[in-house]
Amino acid sequence: MTGVVLYAVLIAFGFFTGGAAGLLGVGGGIMMVPFLTLVADVSQHAAQATSLLVVLPTAVVASVTLQRKGIGDLPLALRFGLVGAVGGIAGALLALALPGHALRIIFALFLGGVSVRLVRDGLATQ
Amino acid sequence: MTDRAPRTLVREPSVSSATAPRNRLTRQLAAIGGAGGVLSGLLGVGGGVVMVPLLVLRAGYRQRDAHAISLGAIIPISLASVLTYGVAGEVRVGYAVALAVGSVVGARVGAGLLARISERPLKIVFGLFLGVVALLLVLR
Repeated sequence: MTGVVLYAVLIAFGFFTGGAAGLLGVGGGIMMVPFLTLVADVSQHAAQATSLLVVLPTAVVASVTLQRKGIGDLPLALRFGLVGAVGGIAGALLALALPGHALRIIFALFLGGVSVRLVRDGLATQ
Repeated sequence: MTDRAPRTLVREPSVSSATAPRNRLTRQLAAIGGAGGVLSGLLGVGGGVVMVPLLVLRAGYRQRDAHAISLGAIIPISLASVLTYGVAGEVRVGYAVALAVGSVVGARVGAGLLARISERPLKIVFGLFLGVVALLLVLR
């Protein structure tokens, strides 16, 4: 896919991931990175860097929207995120020293367990 | 419990940490933020996928508040990552701009929906999303 069509698809997909990110409280990289590598033929590394550049304005707009509606606590969230940013640097350094595949499987199991629990809790909530 | 309680984070009373002061960066919150950052750096997944479950299941935040906090936290986390990656200079700027044009509009729509949706469908939708993410991680 090239040219104008690709850009139109990118904007449309951006709208979809931005909507999902705003609702789900995530950045959207998990959706954008595979899309960039598979559809736009971008290398894994460039896809991650590109998606991060999209995640930033997405999170800002979603946060401002929620702050205006009185949901959450943005100053607290920003301080909370600063700790996360420091953790992120540590994690990136750790990634160089640890076997990535095994970690991914362990993490996937964790997410699978949380997934089941949240759906069950959701169904049990009145 | 009203849906639009202004600026207060509602924590479920059954959780042991409910005595912790609200709206302050407690040790537990800092630990969750750190864990979210480390795991996202380690596994290349966004922090939100890690932080939201921890905020709900460990810190006892309501699903909606957890999503809002996670979105705010993503700002400094992604900023730090952008600065790190920016040095490497591998960003496809044109693609990023096109995606961002769509996603900032989508973010308003999604956040607006988050403000209105009730706890139950939000938990189910997020839970299903996590299930898909888990599958993607295994298949990758």
